[in-house]
Amino acid sequence: MLTYLIRRFLYAIPILIGVNLITFALFFIVNTPDDMARMQLGAKRVTPEAIEKWKAERGYDKPLLWNAAAAGTAKATDTIFFDKSLSMFAFEFGRSEDGRDIMTEIRTRMGPSLAIAIPVFILGLWAAITFALLLVFFRGTYLDLGGVVLCVAMMSISSLFYIIGGQWLISKVWNLVPISGLGAGLDATRFLILPVIISVIGGLGGAARWYRTIFIEESNRDYVRTARAKGLSELAVLFRHVLKNAMIPILTGVVVVIPSLFLGSLLIESFFSIPGLGSYTIDAINAQDFAVVRAMVFIGSVLYIVGLWLTDISYTLVDPRIRLN
Amino acid sequence: MTGSAASPLLKVNGLTVQIGNGRPVDQVSFEIRPGETLALLGESGCGKSMTALAVMRLLPPAARLSGGTVDYLSAGNARPLLSLTEAEMRSVRGGGIGMIFQEPSTSLNPVMSIGRQIEEVLLLHRGLQGDAARRRARELLESVGLPEAERRLDEYPFQLSGGMKQRAMIAMALAGDPELLIADEPTTALDVTIQAQVLELLKTLQRERNMGMLLITHDLGVVERMADHVGVMYAGQLIEVAPREQFFANPAHPYSRKLFAALPERARHGQRLSTIPGRVPPLDTQHVGCRFAPRCSVAFPDCSTLEPGWHAQAGGQEVRCHLFDPARPCMPTLNTPLPTEPQQTAPAVAASPLLQVQDLKVHFPIRKGLLQRTVGHVSAVDGVSFELQAGRTLALVGESGCGKTTVGKAILQLIAPTAGSVRLGGVELTALSGAALQPLRAQAQMVFQDPFASLNPRLRIGTIIAEGMHALGQRAHVAERIAELLEQVGLRADMATRYPHEFSGGQRQRIAIARALAVNPKLIICDEPTSALDVSVQAQIINLLLELQDKLGLAYLFITHNMAVVDYIADDVAVMYKGRIVEIGSADAVLGKPQHDYTQSLLSAAFTRMRGAA
Amino acid sequence: MMPVLLWSDALFFLLLAICLGGIVWARRSPQLAASWRMVGGSRAGVAAATVLLFFVAIALLDSMHYRERLPQQPGESVQYSVEVLSALDALMKTQRTQTEKTYSAPLATHLYAKESRADGQGRDFPRLKFGGKHLEDAEDRGADVVQHALIGLAAGLALWAGLYAVIRRWLRPRAQWFAWDALLWAMAAMLLTGGVLIALMPHYHVLGTDKVGQDVLYLTLKSIRTALLIGTLTTLSMLPAALFLGILAGYKGGWVDDLIQYLYTVLNSIPGVLLIAASILMMQVVIDTHPEWFSTAAERADARLLSLCIIMGVTSWTGLCRLLRAETLKLRELEFVQAAQAFGVSSWAIMARHILPNVMHIVMISVVMDFSGLVLAEAVLSYVGIGVDPTTISFGTMINMARMELAREPMVWWSLIAAFCFMFVLVLAANLFADAVRDAFDPRGRTS
Repeated sequence: MLTYLIRRFLYAIPILIGVNLITFALFFIVNTPDDMARMQLGAKRVTPEAIEKWKAERGYDKPLLWNAAAAGTAKATDTIFFDKSLSMFAFEFGRSEDGRDIMTEIRTRMGPSLAIAIPVFILGLWAAITFALLLVFFRGTYLDLGGVVLCVAMMSISSLFYIIGGQWLISKVWNLVPISGLGAGLDATRFLILPVIISVIGGLGGAARWYRTIFIEESNRDYVRTARAKGLSELAVLFRHVLKNAMIPILTGVVVVIPSLFLGSLLIESFFSIPGLGSYTIDAINAQDFAVVRAMVFIGSVLYIVGLWLTDISYTLVDPRIRLN
Repeated sequence: MTGSAASPLLKVNGLTVQIGNGRPVDQVSFEIRPGETLALLGESGCGKSMTALAVMRLLPPAARLSGGTVDYLSAGNARPLLSLTEAEMRSVRGGGIGMIFQEPSTSLNPVMSIGRQIEEVLLLHRGLQGDAARRRARELLESVGLPEAERRLDEYPFQLSGGMKQRAMIAMALAGDPELLIADEPTTALDVTIQAQVLELLKTLQRERNMGMLLITHDLGVVERMADHVGVMYAGQLIEVAPREQFFANPAHPYSRKLFAALPERARHGQRLSTIPGRVPPLDTQHVGCRFAPRCSVAFPDCSTLEPGWHAQAGGQEVRCHLFDPARPCMPTLNTPLPTEPQQTAPAVAASPLLQVQDLKVHFPIRKGLLQRTVGHVSAVDGVSFELQAGRTLALVGESGCGKTTVGKAILQLIAPTAGSVRLGGVELTALSGAALQPLRAQAQMVFQDPFASLNPRLRIGTIIAEGMHALGQRAHVAERIAELLEQVGLRADMATRYPHEFSGGQRQRIAIARALAVNPKLIICDEPTSALDVSVQAQIINLLLELQDKLGLAYLFITHNMAVVDYIADDVAVMYKGRIVEIGSADAVLGKPQHDYTQSLLSAAFTRMRGAA
Repeated sequence: MMPVLLWSDALFFLLLAICLGGIVWARRSPQLAASWRMVGGSRAGVAAATVLLFFVAIALLDSMHYRERLPQQPGESVQYSVEVLSALDALMKTQRTQTEKTYSAPLATHLYAKESRADGQGRDFPRLKFGGKHLEDAEDRGADVVQHALIGLAAGLALWAGLYAVIRRWLRPRAQWFAWDALLWAMAAMLLTGGVLIALMPHYHVLGTDKVGQDVLYLTLKSIRTALLIGTLTTLSMLPAALFLGILAGYKGGWVDDLIQYLYTVLNSIPGVLLIAASILMMQVVIDTHPEWFSTAAERADARLLSLCIIMGVTSWTGLCRLLRAETLKLRELEFVQAAQAFGVSSWAIMARHILPNVMHIVMISVVMDFSGLVLAEAVLSYVGIGVDPTTISFGTMINMARMELAREPMVWWSLIAAFCFMFVLVLAANLFADAVRDAFDPRGRTS
């Protein structure tokens, strides 16, 4: 089992290299630094000198892959590829357009992102599984039918409307919690409640319906019939037999996103003005700050790969067939 | 055995199950006494399993109990199972009545240890917990003959072999100390030698505990070995009920008689098997008259209009057939033997072998460790040699996993052999590849096991049959050839424009045979061609294969685990065990005087069921 | 008039042609026909499909583009306007051109904001330039609206009654299995709503106007085409690659499989939003630095729309590819494939003849299942600013413009509600239709 996990871990390396190459191609080959400079400086009054200056300030004035002018190993290292792409493996992302160090920024913004993402993740999972179990327990009845219709209807509403509507209803009409921002310490909960609730409700429909399908598929299997033939009650069958088996497919979809919780939620954070990584990303996109977007792409991939690895580990915990082989 | 004096344990009266408009179980009545086994016998789709599930009230959601009573008489008081509340019923399930299922590999919870699955029952029905439960679970595992019971408690189903899983399943069913055991095809998914052991185990346990048993099976061999009473089901109805001896000595209903006649066995070698035309009617058929009438060879006009009643015979036998109606004395008596089909001539032995296999080996690599290096090999086939003459049948016999299918595929170069030589008509195949192999593909073809997986559902029958001709560049007169082939395998030429889903399993197997014949092969490798089929259909396919052999001089490499079929069809037999041939020779020699231990155990397992297996 | 065929138009027409071809093909193959019959027998499926057809019809009208001929000066050659219009624009010319100054409520006769009166006597709500301008007295509005609405209802009802008669007399007896009642209910809902809208349109801004006075109904209808294009072209754009690579990986195995798996794991590991953001930013740079490629603003917006589709396709094809690979792995072991191998049929022929037709149901299911998710994603991406071109009218850009309106005093709700309702109906219909299709084509996925 250990070799299995190590192998899966090593598997991540070529993938990260692949991601790195793709981002490099996307940011430096499809568009040259000149294009980026022209875009940042505004297309109108751009002079070749201004472009050169812009590039020099950001270290984009080097050759892409091979610096023939440099000496020795610097031929390979004094290049954009080495500086801007390979350095990401050391988590050195350079500076953003406004001159701040990106890694420091990421570190300080992680906290607020997690403060929302973790409760959303846990509550959301709990709510969806509970709701799905309820529907499965009453399957074939009108409660089940109504629940499924509700799920489909909830899935059909854009998350934008959940946020806009929720903010309007709870903060503006009922005046229950502040509409946006983030306080310090315990005071933060006041600000966090609304975004958390909205995110959980927004994701409930799709998740609950998906889990319901998994539960029903599982409960049509032979071993469930065996469990019933033992005389177990429906509840015992559902919780002791179906749920445990259904956790395997559910885990595949769920564990992989855990590391990505660090990235926070783009929409929620920007709507509620929460200074997390999600709003950082959106601001960077709007300001066309390529260095930040590049950094976030890389970090996102790293976290996803960690998620894949965690999925492998969680499989071994849940599924004896993998643990013992 | 307890005589009929004892009061019954289970009384089923007029049980009816409805699915939509169809009645998969229709007015079924029977009784089971303690210590006694009732076997429900019938082909697939006859409503046997549905009857068992109805007794347990575990019917699938689409099915509905629409009539009848089921009384469970325990310790003197009768409990009407169909009117108990769900909670009361749960104390019966697993407690008074235990159940085991056909497929042990899917019927156990894959993520729960064996011990916990048994302890669950012990807690529920015996109130045992903790150490007491564990001790009892271990005793149960020991009593079903599972070696190293203590260790097995903490193991998961995937760590057990098929036979061991079924034993664990039985232990679980016994954990609630049931008075009645329902066994739904308990050995169908197991290998022959394991089948015998599990049946023996069930019998012993039944004797020890004086349990009643409802045994669902399609296998006459199992019935003969296990049953005290036999109920034959057809299209949702019981059509014959009899004590076992009576039933085997003198099956009464034409359907029962046909079931016997369709069995392949040595005694019938050289004759055509008796077959039942057509197939079991689909569930939603609205029956008028006798349900078997459309397929019955002795039916007369009244059969298709009047529903027959029960007619008692001597020795406790009861039949639902007009032929036994005392009010119709002048009906054709059943003493006239059922017609058997004409004799076939024995195939002539050709001079030079068509197929020569020398020291064939197929190894699959085992990869391990960080870099997935090959650390060893599994020898699926480990040095197999044999010869097959034109026009003869060589049966390759063995249990699942012994490598017999791999041999078949390696001969056709569908799997690359690791070593050895395969010569077809004197040409070495292993040395050829790609285009060079093409001409030889016309000489050897294959018929597969699962008729539902062997035809592409998206292609028309004509296209399927023509595929080989196109691939091998035979493009002339394709349409005529398809028509000719379809008729040759007993189908109609106009069926070429239809799609596979319109055909039954037996018909599909005929199509698969036509596809193989299309390129005029000299050798056909038949990989378990009848094991997915019911007895009566199996007989049709075997007859067809023999007929084609006569007419076209085909050689068959017949891969199977079914000793009865081997016995009937084979000229020569090769017994495979763990990748090697342990015994080879003429059918008479190998089956008559087996030398190797394994052959003997295989034969004894199969042949204690004298009438053979389906 | 000069017809204009935008790339997205061409692809949209191609898609419709594929659908029509698919129908003809399905009629010849009994399995497909049987599956589609199941969809046709499902009430929810038929109702959803009927609603979707209305949306498709609007999108189709909005995809027939042209450029108007400018008034010709003597001696000059023929000149065409740089503005690309569609048939829908032509039909809704009044809505497109009769804009107000700023916000006005649905069916209003007055502007939503006070203005200094022309005579300088304080501030007042001025009358609208277009909405209710035929009324002498704005007080009569209620009766006038009711009157027009009734006419619309009556027209809708008449059309529906005609349809009902046709179905009862000719169609129902020929196809008993079809859920005609669901079709009729859905038609009733659509025809009556449509009748009222059309009857009121010439006289009012039925759904009000937005900040710059544009008719909200017009904007909403224009958004439909964008939503449908994103929902369909995205999947279509990557379908060939997903099919080819998925089947190839599953059938060939070995290093081919490893390579393809590596490829899609890499693409999958970049968070979708970020990959889209990065690609769209890059695409925008390309579009901005090459103005000479596009002769009109519409073509530029179209290029951005298509690139969005392709980029979203790149991020979403991996799921389908994985599914196809898994299914092919299963099919490869089936006996009909081995039978073909025993005849020496080539790998490519086996993949084309035996594997491809047997995985098409997965493709079908995934196309319809992805649709609603993509429509929702477009709204979010456009809202964030990495979706369609800001000049392209879409649900996302509409919501983006209207997002602060609920916070205004007095509140402006109609833009958001209009976008919400149309989007909800579209996505709900798509979801219900997708469920019906999945139930019919995938026996395992059947939920009850």
